Amino acid sequence: MRSDPSEYHLISPANLNAALALLADQSGQWRPIAGGTDVMVLYGAGHLPHKNFVNIWNLAELRSIEEFHTEIQVGAAVTYTDIRNHPAIQQNFPMLATAASWTGGIANQNRGTLGGNIANASPAADSPPALLAYDADLLLTSIRGDRRIPYKTFHQAYKKTALAPDELIRAIALPKKFANHLHHARKVGARQAQAISKVSLAAVGQLAEGVIADVRLAVGSVAPIPLRLTRLETALLGNSTSSFPQADLRRLLAEEISPIDDMRSTSAYRSTVAANLIAEFLERLTNSGQISRSNLDSARSSPDLNSNPANEIAANFTASDATLHRWNALSPAAAAAAILPCCGSQAWAATMAAARPFADLPALLESSRQIWNHLPPTDWLEAFHSHPRIGESRAASSATAKSTAWSSQEQSQVAKSPEEVKQALAEGNRLYEQKFGRIFIVCATGKSSNEILQILRRRLQNEETVELHEAANQQQEITQLRLKKWLREGTTSVVP
Amino acid sequence: MTAADTPAPKQKISFVVNGEARTISAHPMARLLDVLRLDLQLTGTKEGCGEGECGSCSVLLDGVLVNSCLVPVLQAAGTDILTIEGLSPAASSAGKLHPVQQAFLDCGGAQCGICTPGMILATVQLLAKNPSPDLPAIREGLSGNLCRCTGYLQIFQSVAEAAKRLATP
Repeated sequence: MRSDPSEYHLISPANLNAALALLADQSGQWRPIAGGTDVMVLYGAGHLPHKNFVNIWNLAELRSIEEFHTEIQVGAAVTYTDIRNHPAIQQNFPMLATAASWTGGIANQNRGTLGGNIANASPAADSPPALLAYDADLLLTSIRGDRRIPYKTFHQAYKKTALAPDELIRAIALPKKFANHLHHARKVGARQAQAISKVSLAAVGQLAEGVIADVRLAVGSVAPIPLRLTRLETALLGNSTSSFPQADLRRLLAEEISPIDDMRSTSAYRSTVAANLIAEFLERLTNSGQISRSNLDSARSSPDLNSNPANEIAANFTASDATLHRWNALSPAAAAAAILPCCGSQAWAATMAAARPFADLPALLESSRQIWNHLPPTDWLEAFHSHPRIGESRAASSATAKSTAWSSQEQSQVAKSPEEVKQALAEGNRLYEQKFGRIFIVCATGKSSNEILQILRRRLQNEETVELHEAANQQQEITQLRLKKWLREGTTSVVP
Repeated sequence: MTAADTPAPKQKISFVVNGEARTISAHPMARLLDVLRLDLQLTGTKEGCGEGECGSCSVLLDGVLVNSCLVPVLQAAGTDILTIEGLSPAASSAGKLHPVQQAFLDCGGAQCGICTPGMILATVQLLAKNPSPDLPAIREGLSGNLCRCTGYLQIFQSVAEAAKRLATP
């Protein structure tokens, strides 16, 4: 049932003081509305209990981002789009910029505000864990005066906050004290875009002489409020990341969180994944501890460097690692272009680039596996078609030069095979393409042409769905081998 | 303040729609979507979910993509609104479409048509900010617009084609 617009009052005050005067009048009758991305959803569904609204969307006093020597103040009505695009936020508080990019689609990012996200007080909101981990303060204002409170004291119970009925959040203050920390934010949802989180983590940490010298952990969707894990933080301090027992981590976490079963996930899943996310952060922190000063300095001179100095650059300078670290520092577009020949799917390459930095080759391989498995078949097909047919040397025009060179190495056994085997392969390829409408994909490395022919004949009998997944698994193997080769071949192939 | 206890009266609200100055009389909390469709008869803007998830009701407000189902009309006072009808004002007379519209037609980017006005306006916004988007940028730019017909591939192709055409007029 729709709301009746004649039942709702909405007033646009000329300035902040006029808005505060309205909020103070008949205490509790008037509520603020900014971008409307929460309020108007309830209104549209006929579920908006309050009837009297003060429009704060246009108030200039709430719309600026101000940078000071020790902190950045973000006005409460600053939008996610503004936050994503602000260089000082990207540089000092990358997890907040990331959280803003997670929130809804472009249209909602253009309207949704940081103050609204906080005041709406959803335990699943995207920005609160980042703000908690960054030790933010809230600047509150009312006609009675201003006050400044630590954000971690703001959420008191489910949808219950420290905000008085006549008060507004004026700004969010973020202290600039994390320049040498590792920043780690992860959101787990049903899909990448527009999903509400099942569990999320924002964490900053710093090592000194091998032990955790500073750490802040905040989680979303695992308690009635966005939660700082203060007890787990205390337990971690002074320990080395690698020696802290997983069992203790999981036990301490369980004492602090209280996840529920709901339509998005289960309590058990949320507990397990929250612990996994923290374990992943600690693993990254271990690697970041091995950053050496000179590496950072040389990396800084690169114009493409991601400006966050905490992005890890691990210690063991094997050729592969050095290459990986250079790739970690490239711009997203350059990184995606560099890694594309390993797979051929643009979506895979872009997602890999977005998942950086990687500490080492195993992390890169594991991430590739997961990203590949979650891609839709259309992206798989794009990768398949970047290969030449088995026995031929030319792929579709979309194949990169690098990919073509690797294909000829991988298929070197086939090239040397007798003419009749080559002909049988060509015939098999033709039948395969007739049946499945795409080229036959097999990881040819180390296989003789006869083996490939047998595999081809067997797979011709497959049903479409089975065959699609078998082909995807083969592409996965090809990608894994190419990733290793790519890193081994060194820096020249990383920068296209 | 006693206003809160009485029904909200309609008030005069002015803005520019598709280049034309308009003044309407509406309850301030009425959704911009409803004012466009019911008061101004601009039914090219569609209602899908009514909760900001699907992007069917996308319009540009001062050049910024918004879901018009989530905008109280009072917040649109004084703004410059572009709906799908205003994208190519000459459409009815000269039969000429905006390049983005033409690309959607040519590439099969539209089927049932409910999402199409929103897709096209989201594309216009995307190309204004990034004239040559790669596939991930296209996906992200349209991530707030849902289509239940095309499977998106033709839509992505339409956007890429539109970018190409706009780059070489």
